[in-house]
Amino acid sequence: LNNYCKVFSFYAKTPMEKSASETLMKCLNQYFRTLCDDLETFAHHAGRKTVLLADLELLMRRQGLVTDDISLYVLVERYLPLEYRRLLIPCAASGNAVFPAG
Amino acid sequence: MEPGQREEEEEEEEEDQQQLTLIQNLKATLHYTVGSMCQEAADAQGVRFTKPAIAAISEVTFQQCEHFAKDLEMFARHAKRSTVNMEDVKLLARRSGSLLNYITEKSEEISRVNQEQKDKKKKKAEGGNKKSSKQAVTEMDIDD
Repeated sequence: LNNYCKVFSFYAKTPMEKSASETLMKCLNQYFRTLCDDLETFAHHAGRKTVLLADLELLMRRQGLVTDDISLYVLVERYLPLEYRRLLIPCAASGNAVFPAG
Repeated sequence: MEPGQREEEEEEEEEDQQQLTLIQNLKATLHYTVGSMCQEAADAQGVRFTKPAIAAISEVTFQQCEHFAKDLEMFARHAKRSTVNMEDVKLLARRSGSLLNYITEKSEEISRVNQEQKDKKKKKAEGGNKKSSKQAVTEMDIDD
Protein backbone atom coordinates (compact mmCIF):
# COMPACT_ATOMS: atom_id res chain seq x y z
CA LEU A 1 0.00 0.00 0.00
CA ASN A 2 2.84 2.34 0.83
CA ASN A 3 4.14 1.80 -2.69
CA TYR A 4 0.78 2.76 -4.19
CA CYS A 5 0.69 5.89 -2.07
CA LYS A 6 4.13 6.87 -3.31
CA VAL A 7 3.09 6.34 -6.92
CA PHE A 8 -0.10 8.28 -6.37
CA SER A 9 1.59 11.28 -4.80
CA PHE A 10 4.27 11.20 -7.50
CA TYR A 11 1.67 11.57 -10.25
CA ALA A 12 -0.45 14.04 -8.28
CA LYS A 13 2.72 16.06 -7.50
CA THR A 14 1.34 16.78 -4.02
CA PRO A 15 1.80 15.03 -0.68
CA MET A 16 -1.03 12.85 0.62
CA GLU A 17 -2.94 12.75 3.88
CA LYS A 18 -3.52 9.55 5.87
CA SER A 19 -7.28 9.60 5.28
CA ALA A 20 -6.76 9.94 1.54
CA SER A 21 -4.67 6.77 1.50
CA GLU A 22 -7.55 4.83 3.09
CA THR A 23 -9.90 6.05 0.38
CA LEU A 24 -7.29 5.17 -2.22
CA MET A 25 -7.18 1.66 -0.77
CA LYS A 26 -10.94 1.28 -1.21
CA CYS A 27 -10.77 2.61 -4.76
CA LEU A 28 -7.94 0.22 -5.64
CA ASN A 29 -9.91 -2.70 -4.22
CA GLN A 30 -12.89 -1.81 -6.38
CA TYR A 31 -10.64 -1.21 -9.39
CA PHE A 32 -8.97 -4.61 -9.21
CA ARG A 33 -12.30 -6.32 -8.67
CA THR A 34 -13.79 -4.82 -11.84
CA LEU A 35 -10.53 -5.41 -13.71
CA CYS A 36 -10.53 -9.12 -12.89
CA ASP A 37 -14.21 -9.38 -13.75
CA ASP A 38 -13.64 -7.70 -17.11
CA LEU A 39 -10.61 -9.80 -17.99
CA GLU A 40 -12.54 -12.95 -17.16
CA THR A 41 -15.41 -11.83 -19.36
CA PHE A 42 -13.13 -11.01 -22.29
CA ALA A 43 -11.30 -14.31 -22.07
CA HIS A 44 -14.61 -16.16 -21.86
CA HIS A 45 -15.86 -14.17 -24.86
CA ALA A 46 -12.97 -15.43 -26.95
CA GLY A 47 -13.76 -18.97 -25.78
CA ARG A 48 -10.71 -19.27 -23.55
CA LYS A 49 -10.27 -19.93 -19.87
CA THR A 50 -6.86 -18.26 -19.77
CA VAL A 51 -6.38 -14.52 -19.69
CA LEU A 52 -3.90 -13.47 -22.38
CA LEU A 53 -2.20 -10.22 -23.26
CA ALA A 54 -4.85 -9.65 -25.94
CA ASP A 55 -7.54 -9.46 -23.28
CA LEU A 56 -5.58 -6.85 -21.35
CA GLU A 57 -5.00 -4.84 -24.49
CA LEU A 58 -8.71 -4.94 -25.31
CA LEU A 59 -9.52 -3.79 -21.78
CA MET A 60 -7.10 -0.87 -22.01
CA ARG A 61 -8.52 0.02 -25.39
CA ARG A 62 -11.98 0.11 -23.85
CA GLN A 63 -10.67 2.35 -21.10
CA GLY A 64 -9.23 4.69 -23.70
CA LEU A 65 -5.63 4.18 -22.60
CA VAL A 66 -4.64 2.35 -25.77
CA THR A 67 -5.77 4.16 -28.91
CA ASP A 68 -4.88 3.98 -32.59
CA ASP A 69 -1.96 6.36 -32.18
CA ILE A 70 -0.82 5.11 -28.73
CA SER A 71 -0.18 1.38 -28.80
CA LEU A 72 0.30 -0.86 -25.77
CA TYR A 73 4.03 -1.02 -26.40
CA VAL A 74 4.29 2.77 -26.24
CA LEU A 75 2.62 2.71 -22.82
CA VAL A 76 4.95 -0.07 -21.66
CA GLU A 77 7.96 1.95 -22.84
CA ARG A 78 6.66 5.01 -21.06
CA TYR A 79 5.66 3.68 -17.67
CA LEU A 80 7.43 0.41 -16.90
CA PRO A 81 11.00 -0.02 -15.65
CA LEU A 82 13.58 -1.64 -17.88
CA GLU A 83 13.42 -5.20 -16.52
CA TYR A 84 9.66 -5.43 -17.11
CA ARG A 85 10.01 -3.78 -20.50
CA ARG A 86 12.45 -6.45 -21.55
CA LEU A 87 9.91 -9.13 -20.65
CA LEU A 88 7.08 -7.52 -22.58
CA ILE A 89 8.52 -5.93 -25.68
CA PRO A 90 9.86 -8.26 -28.35
CA CYS A 91 13.40 -7.47 -29.37
CA ALA A 92 15.88 -9.26 -31.58
CA ALA A 93 18.24 -11.29 -29.42
CA SER A 94 21.46 -12.98 -30.46
CA GLY A 95 21.25 -16.09 -32.67
CA ASN A 96 18.66 -14.37 -34.90
CA ALA A 97 15.85 -15.12 -32.44
CA VAL A 98 13.14 -12.73 -31.33
CA PHE A 99 12.43 -12.67 -27.59
CA PRO A 100 9.68 -13.02 -26.39
CA ALA A 101 8.24 -15.18 -29.12
CA GLY A 102 4.86 -13.43 -28.93
CA MET B 1 1.64 17.80 -63.43
CA GLU B 2 0.76 14.76 -65.54
CA PRO B 3 -2.77 14.14 -66.77
CA GLY B 4 -2.89 10.80 -64.92
CA GLN B 5 -2.25 12.50 -61.59
CA ARG B 6 -4.93 15.09 -62.24
CA GLU B 7 -7.48 12.40 -62.99
CA GLU B 8 -6.58 10.61 -59.76
CA GLU B 9 -7.03 13.80 -57.76
CA GLU B 10 -10.40 14.44 -59.35
CA GLU B 11 -11.47 10.90 -58.51
CA GLU B 12 -10.39 11.40 -54.90
CA GLU B 13 -12.34 14.63 -54.71
CA GLU B 14 -15.42 12.87 -56.07
CA GLU B 15 -15.02 10.11 -53.49
CA ASP B 16 -14.72 12.65 -50.69
CA GLN B 17 -17.82 14.39 -51.95
CA GLN B 18 -19.71 11.10 -52.00
CA GLN B 19 -18.57 10.30 -48.45
CA LEU B 20 -19.71 13.71 -47.27
CA THR B 21 -23.11 13.29 -48.90
CA LEU B 22 -23.46 9.86 -47.30
CA ILE B 23 -22.60 11.19 -43.85
CA GLN B 24 -24.99 14.09 -44.27
CA ASN B 25 -27.77 11.72 -45.32
CA LEU B 26 -27.14 9.55 -42.29
CA LYS B 27 -27.10 12.55 -39.99
CA ALA B 28 -30.31 13.88 -41.47
CA THR B 29 -32.04 10.52 -40.99
CA LEU B 30 -30.76 10.30 -37.44
CA HIS B 31 -31.88 13.85 -36.73
CA TYR B 32 -35.36 13.08 -37.97
CA THR B 33 -35.60 9.94 -35.81
CA VAL B 34 -34.29 11.76 -32.74
CA GLY B 35 -36.82 14.52 -33.39
CA SER B 36 -39.70 12.03 -33.47
CA MET B 37 -38.48 10.31 -30.30
CA CYS B 38 -38.08 13.64 -28.53
CA GLN B 39 -41.60 14.55 -29.60
CA GLU B 40 -42.91 11.33 -28.08
CA ALA B 41 -41.01 11.97 -24.86
CA ALA B 42 -42.26 15.53 -24.79
CA ASP B 43 -45.86 14.40 -25.17
CA ALA B 44 -45.40 11.83 -22.40
CA GLN B 45 -43.60 14.10 -19.92
CA GLY B 46 -45.24 17.40 -20.70
CA VAL B 47 -41.95 19.19 -21.42
CA ARG B 48 -40.67 20.84 -24.58
CA PHE B 49 -37.37 20.39 -26.44
CA THR B 50 -35.73 23.35 -28.14
CA LYS B 51 -34.39 22.75 -31.62
CA PRO B 52 -30.71 23.13 -30.61
CA ALA B 53 -31.26 20.53 -27.89
CA ILE B 54 -32.56 18.01 -30.42
CA ALA B 55 -29.68 18.81 -32.76
CA ALA B 56 -27.21 18.30 -29.92
CA ILE B 57 -28.78 14.96 -28.99
CA SER B 58 -28.59 13.71 -32.57
CA GLU B 59 -24.95 14.84 -32.88
CA VAL B 60 -24.05 13.03 -29.65
CA THR B 61 -25.87 9.94 -30.91
CA PHE B 62 -23.86 10.05 -34.13
CA GLN B 63 -20.56 10.22 -32.24
CA GLN B 64 -21.68 7.45 -29.91
CA CYS B 65 -22.54 5.25 -32.89
CA GLU B 66 -18.98 5.62 -34.14
CA HIS B 67 -17.70 4.57 -30.73
CA PHE B 68 -20.08 1.60 -30.57
CA ALA B 69 -19.12 0.46 -34.04
CA LYS B 70 -15.42 0.45 -33.19
CA ASP B 71 -16.00 -1.40 -29.93
CA LEU B 72 -18.22 -4.03 -31.54
CA GLU B 73 -15.65 -4.60 -34.25
CA MET B 74 -12.98 -5.04 -31.58
CA PHE B 75 -15.08 -7.53 -29.61
CA ALA B 76 -15.87 -9.57 -32.70
CA ARG B 77 -12.23 -9.65 -33.76
CA HIS B 78 -11.27 -10.61 -30.21
CA ALA B 79 -13.43 -13.71 -30.50
CA LYS B 80 -11.78 -14.38 -33.90
CA ARG B 81 -14.97 -13.59 -35.79
CA SER B 82 -15.58 -11.09 -38.55
CA THR B 83 -19.34 -11.00 -37.87
CA VAL B 84 -20.77 -9.01 -34.97
CA ASN B 85 -23.35 -11.05 -33.09
CA MET B 86 -25.57 -10.73 -30.02
CA GLU B 87 -22.80 -11.64 -27.57
CA ASP B 88 -20.73 -8.64 -28.67
CA VAL B 89 -23.67 -6.32 -28.16
CA LYS B 90 -24.24 -7.75 -24.68
CA LEU B 91 -20.57 -7.21 -23.88
CA LEU B 92 -20.90 -3.61 -24.98
CA ALA B 93 -23.77 -3.03 -22.57
CA ARG B 94 -22.15 -4.92 -19.70
CA ARG B 95 -21.15 -1.81 -17.79
CA SER B 96 -24.64 -0.74 -16.78
CA GLY B 97 -26.85 -3.35 -15.15
CA SER B 98 -30.25 -2.03 -16.19
CA LEU B 99 -29.22 -1.61 -19.81
CA LEU B 100 -27.77 -5.13 -19.83
CA ASN B 101 -31.01 -6.55 -18.45
CA TYR B 102 -33.02 -4.67 -21.08
CA ILE B 103 -30.81 -5.85 -23.93
CA THR B 104 -30.83 -9.42 -22.66
CA GLU B 105 -34.63 -9.37 -22.59
CA LYS B 106 -34.72 -7.97 -26.11
CA SER B 107 -32.27 -10.56 -27.39
CA GLU B 108 -34.31 -13.36 -25.87
CA GLU B 109 -37.40 -11.92 -27.55
CA ILE B 110 -35.61 -11.76 -30.90
CA SER B 111 -34.28 -15.29 -30.57
CA ARG B 112 -37.77 -16.51 -29.71
CA VAL B 113 -39.23 -14.82 -32.79
CA ASN B 114 -36.44 -16.31 -34.92
CA GLN B 115 -37.15 -19.74 -33.45
CA GLU B 116 -40.84 -19.39 -34.28
CA GLN B 117 -40.02 -18.36 -37.83
CA LYS B 118 -37.69 -21.33 -38.15
CA ASP B 119 -40.39 -23.64 -36.84
CA LYS B 120 -42.86 -22.22 -39.36
CA LYS B 121 -40.35 -22.70 -42.14
CA LYS B 122 -39.72 -26.23 -40.96
CA LYS B 123 -43.45 -26.94 -40.92
CA LYS B 124 -43.79 -25.55 -44.43
CA ALA B 125 -40.80 -27.53 -45.52
CA GLU B 126 -42.26 -30.63 -43.91
CA GLY B 127 -45.58 -29.98 -45.66
CA GLY B 128 -43.82 -29.65 -48.99
CA ASN B 129 -41.29 -32.39 -48.39
CA LYS B 130 -43.51 -35.04 -46.87
CA LYS B 131 -43.00 -37.27 -49.84
CA SER B 132 -39.27 -36.78 -49.86
CA SER B 133 -39.03 -37.33 -46.09
CA LYS B 134 -41.05 -40.53 -46.47
CA GLN B 135 -38.72 -41.60 -49.20
CA ALA B 136 -35.78 -40.79 -46.96
CA VAL B 137 -37.30 -42.85 -44.15
CA THR B 138 -37.82 -45.81 -46.43
CA GLU B 139 -34.28 -45.46 -47.72
CA MET B 140 -33.01 -45.43 -44.13
CA ASP B 141 -35.01 -48.57 -43.42
CA ILE B 142 -33.36 -50.18 -46.39
CA ASP B 143 -29.97 -49.07 -45.08
CA ASP B 144 -30.71 -50.62 -41.70
